[in-house]
Amino acid sequence: MWVLRVFIGGIFIVSGLSKILGPYQNFLYVIQAYQLLPSGLEVLTAQIFPWMEFMVGSFVVLGLWTRWSLAGAGVLFGILVGVVGQALLRGLPLESCGCFGAWIHVKPQTVIVMDSFSLLLTLVLLRRLPQAEKFSADSYFDKL
Amino acid sequence: MKKWQLALGVIVVLIGLALGTKIYLAPKGVKINPQEARAEGNPNARVKIVEFVDFQCPACAWGLEYLKIFLARHPQDLYIQVRYFPLTSLHHHALISALYSECAARQGKFWALDNLMIPQQAQWAQLINPQPVFDAMARQVGMDMNRLSACLTSNSAHKVINDEKSMGQSLGITSTPTYFINNKMVVGTKSLQEELKKYFPGG
Repeated sequence: MWVLRVFIGGIFIVSGLSKILGPYQNFLYVIQAYQLLPSGLEVLTAQIFPWMEFMVGSFVVLGLWTRWSLAGAGVLFGILVGVVGQALLRGLPLESCGCFGAWIHVKPQTVIVMDSFSLLLTLVLLRRLPQAEKFSADSYFDKL
Repeated sequence: MKKWQLALGVIVVLIGLALGTKIYLAPKGVKINPQEARAEGNPNARVKIVEFVDFQCPACAWGLEYLKIFLARHPQDLYIQVRYFPLTSLHHHALISALYSECAARQGKFWALDNLMIPQQAQWAQLINPQPVFDAMARQVGMDMNRLSACLTSNSAHKVINDEKSMGQSLGITSTPTYFINNKMVVGTKSLQEELKKYFPGG
């Protein structure tokens, strides 16, 4: 279970870092393609969302406040499934989901399956929290 | 150590590491060469735009047309320079269209060819081999076909395109169209319109 926790956190670390390390304008362009937010919110989201992914991912990997960080990961997966899903339903012409910046290109049809599966895994981890907390900062502090 | 202290420490370290790397990797900005053949407008204009384009990208075509209209309205206030950024993994004709453009630029016909190539993008993008169409366009704008043929197979035209793409990548470009408006990076046509509104509120 703890390997799964590290895997889920790792997804968000890679996803967040891939956007943080490049110019935010590249992710802004991705957000604009989803045609969901007003302009001001698009810019704010482009600057904040990658940091949220990076922080949540790091906390999940370290197992720090595991319940809450996993819940955060679940919410992020839920948002991603919703955003990509509405784009697919509206038939928006997206060549790539833009989830991993320029590092990895995944088609929206593929990423919605991946994100839904990851959301399911996150829920399983939340249900089996004691096993998920193995080798975590939480378990270290619990022993003190 | 308490848990909240560790959490705070983790947050500070992560932000520091990510920001440090971001600053270390940050691009230095794009240089404008006033002698460039692929430029239009007033070289001393208050708004200078360098655009990295893929000639098969629909948004690039829209952006090029939009900027041409804008330039016609503000000929003294705008300077536009085109650089190549063919997305060969997405568009099969990205490289060959860039090559024809570069060869046209070498004969002083870049904009003349561009005026034919861009509006017809949707048609030639569907073809398996668009070269006959590009050749016809080249003849139409009065290009020397022998020079064109030599240019298309030359290493130097390929080198210019590859060098510009590498330069774009070092500037953090991942998609097209990407613009540098007075050195500020702007990606996509929506951001282009919004940024230009700041300089030209009347449109």
